[in-house]
Amino acid sequence: MIHSYLYLSIILFCLGIVGVISRRNVFTVFMSIELMLNAANLAFVAFARVHESMDGHVLAMMVMAVAAAEAALALAVVILLHKHKSKLDTNVFSLLKG
Amino acid sequence: MGQSVHYLGLIPLFPLMGAVFIGLLHVFTCKNAKLSEKVYGLLACVGPVLSFVMALKVFFQLKSLPADARFLSHNAFTWFSVGDLHINMGFLADPLSCLMLLFVTLIGSLIHIYSIGYMSGDKNYGKFFAYMNLFLGSMLVLVLGDSPVVMFVGWEGVGLCSYLLISFYSEDTNNVLAGNKAFIVNRIGDLGFVLGMSFLFWGIGASGFDYLSLKANVHHLTPAIALTVCLLLFVGATGKSAQIPLYVWLPDAMAGPTPVSALIHAATMVTAGVYMVARFSFLYAHVELAGNIVAWVGILTALLAAIFGMFQDDIKKVLAYSTVSQLGYMFAGVGVAAYSAGIFHVFTHAFFKALLFLGAGSVIYAMHHEQNIWKMGGLKAKMPKTYITMVIGALALAGCPPFSGFFSKDEILFSALATGHYGIWAVGLLVACMTAYYTFRMIFVVFHGEPRDQHAFDHAKESPAVMTVPLIILAVGAAFAGFLNMPGVQTVSHWLAPSLTEHHPHASSFVLVFAMATSIVAFLVGIKIAYSKFGKGAAEPVFSGFEKFAYNKFYVDELYNAVIVQPYKAVGSSIWKTIEPNVTDGPVKAVTRLYMMIGTAFKVFQVGYVRIYAIYMIVGLSLMSLFLSQSLN
Amino acid sequence: MFADGLFLGFAVLAVLGAAGLVVFRHPMNGAMSFVVTLISLAGLYALLSAKLIFALQLIVYAGAIMSLIVFIIMFLNIQPSDLPKEETKLVYILGGLAVVLPIGLFLAKIVKTLPLSSTAILGNDFGGVKQVGLLLFKDWLVPFEIVSILLLISLIGAVVLAGKKEAVK
Repeated sequence: MIHSYLYLSIILFCLGIVGVISRRNVFTVFMSIELMLNAANLAFVAFARVHESMDGHVLAMMVMAVAAAEAALALAVVILLHKHKSKLDTNVFSLLKG
Repeated sequence: MGQSVHYLGLIPLFPLMGAVFIGLLHVFTCKNAKLSEKVYGLLACVGPVLSFVMALKVFFQLKSLPADARFLSHNAFTWFSVGDLHINMGFLADPLSCLMLLFVTLIGSLIHIYSIGYMSGDKNYGKFFAYMNLFLGSMLVLVLGDSPVVMFVGWEGVGLCSYLLISFYSEDTNNVLAGNKAFIVNRIGDLGFVLGMSFLFWGIGASGFDYLSLKANVHHLTPAIALTVCLLLFVGATGKSAQIPLYVWLPDAMAGPTPVSALIHAATMVTAGVYMVARFSFLYAHVELAGNIVAWVGILTALLAAIFGMFQDDIKKVLAYSTVSQLGYMFAGVGVAAYSAGIFHVFTHAFFKALLFLGAGSVIYAMHHEQNIWKMGGLKAKMPKTYITMVIGALALAGCPPFSGFFSKDEILFSALATGHYGIWAVGLLVACMTAYYTFRMIFVVFHGEPRDQHAFDHAKESPAVMTVPLIILAVGAAFAGFLNMPGVQTVSHWLAPSLTEHHPHASSFVLVFAMATSIVAFLVGIKIAYSKFGKGAAEPVFSGFEKFAYNKFYVDELYNAVIVQPYKAVGSSIWKTIEPNVTDGPVKAVTRLYMMIGTAFKVFQVGYVRIYAIYMIVGLSLMSLFLSQSLN
Repeated sequence: MFADGLFLGFAVLAVLGAAGLVVFRHPMNGAMSFVVTLISLAGLYALLSAKLIFALQLIVYAGAIMSLIVFIIMFLNIQPSDLPKEETKLVYILGGLAVVLPIGLFLAKIVKTLPLSSTAILGNDFGGVKQVGLLLFKDWLVPFEIVSILLLISLIGAVVLAGKKEAVK
């Protein structure tokens, strides 16, 4: 049944959120975001199967393209942050304080 | 009844316009292109002289009217109208205001002409004449006003000009302080005046608040309110006309230029209080107690000022205390319901006191602004015109027949005697003796004997004609004005009768002769004592005991300062230091502190870590989904 | 019957991989777990008859994106001192799970309302390269072009960001 795929998608998505809010390592945060995107992809493809239409596949492709683009940029930023402070802790960057 | 004429409004308008015009000229030219003094002098005298000409026109027009309808009125415009109170900027010329008008404009014009000479060389020449014109305009508004409110406009205006002119030599702070003192003490009196007006309005103002309506309705006033109004208005008069307790500003006001002292503090402004009481004669005649209080305050002021005047060494201070003393006589006159006698004394006093002040100014001018009489002496040889005119003025002041002061002062003393006020008569007689003494003390010390300061004496010479001609004109007035109201004929009293509510006392001719005789005896005694002490030249005395006490004006100024001024300043300072920071600033600061505390409390949420902000979002989302799951059921 | 077992296996692997990603301290370990998740997801796509997506997932995600991430992790030469000291990691994770639970339950409730449908493997007409390609180039042409521009932008952005030089003295 399709519901199991959707429940799995929900579980993966929630695990992704947990990863974003509870970890301080920039790589872990970034990869948790990718995890969330993948969970969404799974939901797209599952619904495409339900409706037997391939729009979901196309959208999944778009998501993948976006994820790739975002991965490139995010990693560039991570490199710059590391060059700046040589630390990979998100708590180090706290200029918004106050 | 009466006529409505349109030129009445022009009488105060000419000097006021002159003031504005001269003031603007001075402001725009005093820095770069100084105008010639002649220009200012000419412009300044145009207004007063024109007003005098129109005053004459008013007089002749009034004479042509029948006695029971003898007034001219002019309603310039409705000033304001609120509820029952309708105030017009209206002018009323009846015999009383006509008399005041005549001598105010005449003496005002003469003093303006005199000032052309006296103030020459002063760098604020134009400003002086602007202020003098402004003063004259305000005084004319005061005299011509047809309601207490319009009179009050002029009342305030003359107070302002008094301040401006006393502090004219403003480089010296003492002059400015004297100006402040005059204005503030005047203001205290003005409070009484305003309260009096308010009570009057409360009582009978609903059916018109001008003199004619008030006179018609005065019997509607309850006795209590009538007494209150009379006393409160008199408080205003004590401020303006320098009676006890608010006389302290007049001696200090001598810091102003001498023409100012002559015009404002001798002839015109200080008589406004007497004019006011005479104007309200319909009210004061109703309340005998108020009249008695006015008369006693007046005569006691006369006594006190005469005591001070006997020991002063500044020529202008002697004349200042003399003014206060004579004003006391005037109030004694109007207090015993002899309103025409009081006003007649105002009239004659204007002439001889202005004459004495201008003469003193002439002496001061000749002695290069030396005012101490113990540095003068023997000037009669050097300044004959001044000497003769001043002697005439002094004789008038001291009450020597046949000069004017004798007739007016005698009228007051006779009225006091005839209405049964024996105490007032007795004190008045004593003051007459003292008046003669201090006046001739001044004359003998300044003009007779040997010069005490040879250097200054050598440089003294008679003043220019522009100053001596007004002196001569005033001397003529001081000498002969008395004949206008001789006992028995009483031209002025009859002229004033339509304006005043007066009941002339019937007294036997024995009382009349007795009063005259005692006045003459008092005069002779005073001049004899003065001659014996100072006639042959005297040295400056050293005071001790009572004399020193009187020389220091009974330390009244110091008393006022200690009892009133210092506590007032202490209260102000305590408000500034304790009440303001705590009571008024405190709650405001507390509110700001509260807001800052709230802000600081919320600052806890601004941690700066984006992860925490993401947590806030997820928590919010979670709560929302909790809520939505509930609603999905 | 085969499908159910495969599904279960892939699902378990995916969840374990995700848990590992969240729990591991060193990002390399996390990346490796994540790769496991991605490969299981590819299998799940295959089970859903999404043949092209299955292939693309393996090529693009597990192959390109993850290798990029792993490359950067190794490039930065991470020392243990660079990594944040996360003593309270477990507390946060459990707290996060508590917070996230209502969201998940809400989504599950929504899913429950959906009608049942089968997931049998479909034939050649569904999910193949040709079919998806036709759809992509006919109905979804404009988004396709826009995504290509997006990729161009990110390419330029990445070059600019990573190519920042120090100011020349």
